Amino acid sequence: MAEQLYNAVFIGSIYALFALGFALVFSVLDILNLAHPTVFMLGAFVALFAIGTLGLPWFVALAIAVLVTGLFGIVLDRVAFAPLRRRGAPALSSMISSLAVSLIVVRLVELRYGGDFITFPAGAVPAFVLRVGDATLEGIRLAIVVLSVALMVGLTYVLRRTQLGRDLRALAENPRAARLLGVDVDRAIAATFFVSSALGGLAGVLLAFAYNTLDSRMGVPLELRAFTVMVVGGMGSLPGAVIGAYILGFGEVASLVYLPTELRDAFAFGLLFLVLVVRPTGLLGQKSPDRV
Amino acid sequence: MMRRAAVGLVGVLLLASCGGGTATPSGNPATATVAAPKPDIKIGLATAKSGAANFYNPQQSNGAALAVDQINTAGGIAGAKLQLIVEDDGSVRDQGITAFRKFIEQDKVVAILGPTLSAVAAGAHPVAQAGGVPVIAISNTGLGIVGKCDYGPCDWIFRASLGEQSAVPETVKAATQKLGLKKVVIIYGDGKFELDDLTIFKEAFKANNVTVSKEIAYTAKDVDFAPFVTQAKGENPDAVVASSLAGPAGKILDEMAKQMPGKRVIGGNGLNSAALLPNANAGLIVVGTAWSKASTDKTNTDFVAAYKTKFGVDPDQFAAQSYTAMIVLADALKRSGNATDRAAVKKALEGVSSLATPLGPFSFTTDHDVKQPTFVMTVKDGQFTPFQ
Amino acid sequence: MDALFDFLRTYSTTIAVIGVSALLALSVWVTLYAGQLTLGNAAFMAVGAYVAALLGRHLDAPFPLALLIGAFAAALLALPLGAIVFRLRGVYLAIATLAFGEIVRVILLATPITGKGQGLNGIPPTTELWHIYLSLLIVAYVLWRVQGSTIGRAWAAIREDEIASASQGIAVGQHKLAAFVIGALIAGWAGGLSAHVTFSIDPSDFGFTKAVQVLVFAVVGGVPNVLGPILGAGLLTALPEVLRPLRDYRDIFQGAILLLVIIYLPRGLVTFVDVRRTRRLSRIGAVDVA
Repeated sequence: MAEQLYNAVFIGSIYALFALGFALVFSVLDILNLAHPTVFMLGAFVALFAIGTLGLPWFVALAIAVLVTGLFGIVLDRVAFAPLRRRGAPALSSMISSLAVSLIVVRLVELRYGGDFITFPAGAVPAFVLRVGDATLEGIRLAIVVLSVALMVGLTYVLRRTQLGRDLRALAENPRAARLLGVDVDRAIAATFFVSSALGGLAGVLLAFAYNTLDSRMGVPLELRAFTVMVVGGMGSLPGAVIGAYILGFGEVASLVYLPTELRDAFAFGLLFLVLVVRPTGLLGQKSPDRV
Repeated sequence: MMRRAAVGLVGVLLLASCGGGTATPSGNPATATVAAPKPDIKIGLATAKSGAANFYNPQQSNGAALAVDQINTAGGIAGAKLQLIVEDDGSVRDQGITAFRKFIEQDKVVAILGPTLSAVAAGAHPVAQAGGVPVIAISNTGLGIVGKCDYGPCDWIFRASLGEQSAVPETVKAATQKLGLKKVVIIYGDGKFELDDLTIFKEAFKANNVTVSKEIAYTAKDVDFAPFVTQAKGENPDAVVASSLAGPAGKILDEMAKQMPGKRVIGGNGLNSAALLPNANAGLIVVGTAWSKASTDKTNTDFVAAYKTKFGVDPDQFAAQSYTAMIVLADALKRSGNATDRAAVKKALEGVSSLATPLGPFSFTTDHDVKQPTFVMTVKDGQFTPFQ
Repeated sequence: MDALFDFLRTYSTTIAVIGVSALLALSVWVTLYAGQLTLGNAAFMAVGAYVAALLGRHLDAPFPLALLIGAFAAALLALPLGAIVFRLRGVYLAIATLAFGEIVRVILLATPITGKGQGLNGIPPTTELWHIYLSLLIVAYVLWRVQGSTIGRAWAAIREDEIASASQGIAVGQHKLAAFVIGALIAGWAGGLSAHVTFSIDPSDFGFTKAVQVLVFAVVGGVPNVLGPILGAGLLTALPEVLRPLRDYRDIFQGAILLLVIIYLPRGLVTFVDVRRTRRLSRIGAVDVA
């Protein structure tokens, strides 16, 4: 039982780490960035390139991957979202343009690295092991658990207490008013995409390290989960996303232990559906959702 | 802005054209020989160059291309050269069907190899069956590909890829004997391939008097496999069966090493993947395969050497199987008397018997299924080696 | 002439899939036109496909009857679902319908009669091209007429402003539900047709990817009129075949084309075909959706 609890905490942390960046863009810009799974994957492959081709140590690779995916986020905005914003296109269009960018980036990665999963060169991945009594904790897994909570706290602090955070919240409320109030809207949007994508990239690298495996579609299974997590926690709330992630993680493991094995996957979506119908604001939703 | 976006796009496309590090198989190796006395014999290969199963390439196309080159260099089929036409099936059914139709209606091929996935074959094979064109399946291992098919008679379909019905019982028998199995747990995925494997594994264990004490399903969307292995551990089995594709199998191997050290992971064809070789815990694998790179048979050593010379990398099983299918087809074409008559080619294929191939002596059963040895393997020093 | 027949025979599946895609795009168009972003149509398609295929297999039901029952089964499922989820709007509605789609997929995966993950194989290829294109013609014509009718105007009004519409006496809930059920009916019909094109169906054919794909058809084509979804489905389904010669770079060009279309014609391809009229409409804000 203790083992399954530990498993659930770890799974919840993965979902949280992935969902944070996704939720950030949504909370500020009301955009569902369907390229987020691709950014996640890109982070892992940039790290692989840094380690495998450039021969750099893992922590340098991690830093490079976070930086590159952050910058990619800004490019993504310029290519896929900014032109649509400028034209006042319907919100749907931005979902499609982000899908289009994903299609291109995934294929580019496949042309370089193939479509099958691959591993890091032997010995390149950090392997700290912590011994607590007779249980062993792997450093990288511990890092994922700690980081998912730490980043949530840090981001919430930035949003609440700093000038950038105030700018972002003004932007989230009303872009036009924010501009009139002297907020540098373009800078704020760029910052949002940088942070969101850097978080996605970080999640990708850490997950690839934890499993020592990466492939061009590694972000896809997490996409629907991220929707669930955001809705359960409350769209637009970062602490909500993290809490939602742990609820989902625990729920999935519990349903594996207690439910008939084939219906396990129905749990996540049943939960999602139920929350939407009963309490669409989610657990910590601050903004009133678009509801009649 | 318009211009900037356009420039950006051009940049992306340029990047794309430099990004390709993979070997492109030669589409029509025979087109250079203009003076061929007879028209080329056309053969279609439908294979997943894009989509979910794209990692079977370029190996799958390379294997067939190598065989075609060798056959043409050796003088072709009664003076006529082989021409291989490769089409992407996109890993999806409708594109696979269209590729088959194109081969049959436009290219007028004499036979077809492929497609890569069994789910795509379920749509594409009936087209060839209706059109009366011989097909050799080169990587479909599931149920209902040859013999008894859901769509009615499938006598135009042959299979050169060792089916799980043949490989899994051999694997289970060897594993039961050598590991003294009494009780196992099966962890399985929810796709067609994994469910077929589940069925076959359960029958094989029953035949060997081994109890399957628990079946645990995961879905294609699961990321972490620790909870599944923890569930299996609760049963205290002698070994765990991974009825899965290679990706999940890698994670199951790692969790097994952590949670149940010393216990082996028995698998189907999904575990027979070169991508698993670098895994630190690949030594736990027990799997039945259609091909062993280490096989010292001369046909095989020649094939491995020629492949490495031409493409610069070692072949894998998918290359060996598509190469074999082409050798088998060429043998039938030679014996058919008329290499453009599809019915004659089908009849000749039925007569293939103990042909020397990299997979070992090769024949077709009366169901048109492959009859060849199964190699029960494990992994040692990053290579598949016979399981002792 | 022979060449033409060769072409038709070779690409008959592609042509059939284009027609089915167009029907699906129209099914999602109905709700989009009423301003509702739903992603449940892949699931309705699955219901139509499985019901029709199973009726044919186990009860020897005549093909048109099987299709009809499949379509009505989908519509029947949409009725209670719509009543529940239409309290939500925008992204919430999209995610709720998506969750519904995933639940349907999981049920298909767990049910023996639907063949679980193995799906149903060996479905007879009963669907002829004219079945699909006649359906498309009828559906497009009916929707075109509906668009100009009182119901169509009510949908447009709801899309622009729900509260204002309600205050003018439009039964907002009923109209939204009607759009949803009609969409499900069309999607179910299209599903039944498509099951009898490719010999085989399995739950992975009707997942998240399909739901998004259908939406992309409609949005790329454009929502101002029924031509949009047909155009979008036609172009995007034909594209992989047209781009076949590009081999390894096919996905990249497809992505690039999709990006260019959505950036330069964000209101869809029909705005290119019918630029002047749409410009006038967009000035008065009549083509804004979702």
